[in-house]
Amino acid sequence: MSTKKIVIIGNSAAGVAAIEAIRERDNASKITVISDESYSAYCRCLISNYLAGTIDENGLIYRDKKFYADNMVELLLEKKAEKVDVKKKNVVLEDKTQIPYDSLIIATGASSKMPKDLKGVSKKGVFAFRTINDARDILNLTTVSHTSCILGGGLIGLKAAYGLKKRGQDVKIIVRSGRLMSQVVDNIASSFILKRFQDNGIEVLLNSDVSEIIGNGDMKALKLDNGKVIGCSLAVIGKGVSPNVKLIKETDIKTDKGILVDEYMRTNIENVYAAGDVCQAYDLTMGKPEINALWPHAVEQGRYAGANICGDNLKYAGSFGMNSVEFFGLAIISIGIFDGDYETLSYADKDKEVYKKVVIDGDRLIGALFVGSIANSGLYTRLIKERINISGIKDDLLDENISYAKIKNLVKEEKEKIYI
Amino acid sequence: MAKKLYYDVSKCLACKSCELVCAVGKSSSKELQAALSEETKPLSCVKVKSLESKNFPIACRHCKEHPCVSACIAGALSYDKTKKLVDYDRNKCVGCWMCVMVCPYGAIRDNKALKIPVRCDLCQDADEPRCLKACPVGAIIYLEEEELDKLLKPKKSV
Ligand SMILES: Cc1cc2nc3c(=O)[nH]c(=O)nc-3n(C[C@H](O)[C@H](O)[C@H](O)COP(=O)(O)OP(=O)(O)OC[C@H]3O[C@@H](n4cnc5c(N)ncnc54)[C@H](O)[C@@H]3O)c2cc1C
Repeated sequence: MSTKKIVIIGNSAAGVAAIEAIRERDNASKITVISDESYSAYCRCLISNYLAGTIDENGLIYRDKKFYADNMVELLLEKKAEKVDVKKKNVVLEDKTQIPYDSLIIATGASSKMPKDLKGVSKKGVFAFRTINDARDILNLTTVSHTSCILGGGLIGLKAAYGLKKRGQDVKIIVRSGRLMSQVVDNIASSFILKRFQDNGIEVLLNSDVSEIIGNGDMKALKLDNGKVIGCSLAVIGKGVSPNVKLIKETDIKTDKGILVDEYMRTNIENVYAAGDVCQAYDLTMGKPEINALWPHAVEQGRYAGANICGDNLKYAGSFGMNSVEFFGLAIISIGIFDGDYETLSYADKDKEVYKKVVIDGDRLIGALFVGSIANSGLYTRLIKERINISGIKDDLLDENISYAKIKNLVKEEKEKIYI
Repeated sequence: MAKKLYYDVSKCLACKSCELVCAVGKSSSKELQAALSEETKPLSCVKVKSLESKNFPIACRHCKEHPCVSACIAGALSYDKTKKLVDYDRNKCVGCWMCVMVCPYGAIRDNKALKIPVRCDLCQDADEPRCLKACPVGAIIYLEEEELDKLLKPKKSV
């Protein structure tokens, strides 16, 4: 096997999966990983658990230092890649060091979108929520802050709200739209989630926006668009993320919302791959390239990029929106498309706080929602992913007792040896 | 050595002895009487479901693709290549149910009370999976894949 210099920018879900895939196939090539953070890979999704105090910094570790030693990886921490030179095939760091590569994986992830034109957004006390450092800074301020405001009712905002509530903060969530998690669940599911937050003492201000953050240096209050002022010294912005593509701006690497990749996770430039939140890969439910900035997809895409660098020709089937979260004991799973001009079947029990819904396009399942009861949700993920004709089992889709046996003869299974 | 569980569906009667012994094995006391009175009822990792008069025990198969491992945002699930086993670290698990969401067999269930996924671990705490001996009709087989292949292939006469 010829030895190569493989460089990975970004040391998180996608980067780590790429390392593992490469080392499963190739122990000779040199792997260098560049990260601008100061930690070995950690569970980014759990910084809210860390904020809540349910896990400590140790519990956040995803791969420890030993992992990099075992896999013969040169890990460069606290080094920011400033740009990629695809002609010279090297990565230029902020300190001007040049790191040459034969193959490159861009796994730089995404950053929190900060509303630049919001007056006062750069005041002290206003935080993004993306890194351990963000969580730690927020935590430090909770010792003196009493009221925390969350801007945005999406997943990140709600996770931050949950964490801050657990730390005893008086938490208010300010949401521009009329409901919570409007990007991933429908009205009914939103109403269950809203109730759960309110029942747990969190105030949710719907149809409201912040017009100004007030204070000298340190923030002291928020002004809402209806003129109301809320005194608070801590605010977390949860207004979505944008892919970290700055370092390739001067190259011919094609981007749309994120870096565009084909089904082999290759960009349009030879030997340059992208994976994870930074990339825009094919979306199975939308039928076009989309960013699905989610951990499982970052891992899978990283794995495909790594394998294909080693000469495998593995085709990535594509991603689609899916997420599972739990807030104050309420489990919520959203898979694929949750609303729109499609046939839907649903079941709701307000008292038990249980809701299940499936979204059907012709004879395909394209989405499923579960609140309160999530058993067998994996089967729906599979039906969506494999684009199974579900016309024969439509009546069973809302049945609590649906099981793999029911879909066994429909799904693609390599000759199934488990049952003889 | 990497044995796996296989099921002979021509034998399985759906008596659910496997479910019972599994749940007891997952209880803290590991004894039926005591398990029944435990505060959080232990759940079985295997469930027998029927289709067209055949019965299918459904449990984690430690599949090659193991999407649960990719989906685990806490790094609690990992794949042990030598044992060909999906491993679980309870200390890392936060009970987010990502694994439940992606299991292609619906073989991971949520134990809400304990906030842990209920998943066959081939009884790592015992010599062999408890369901094996509990099955009264011998429908459960625990073998390495190669051994199974030999068993299935009728011997060719020379
Ligand atoms: C609070 C929170 C909760 C979440 N919850 C969930 C959830 O429940 N489920 C889910 O599926 N997803 C969740 N996510 C999203 C998930 O964390 C991401 O999808 C995942 O981390 C993407 O991994 P990645 O490897 O693509 O990028 P990232 O994790 O973003 O990592 C990219 C890394 O590259 C570094 N980097 C960027 N640019 C450079 C550069 N120029 N030079 C050097 N290094 C650079 C970054 O600092 C970072 O360390 C959550 C995210 C957050 C913040």
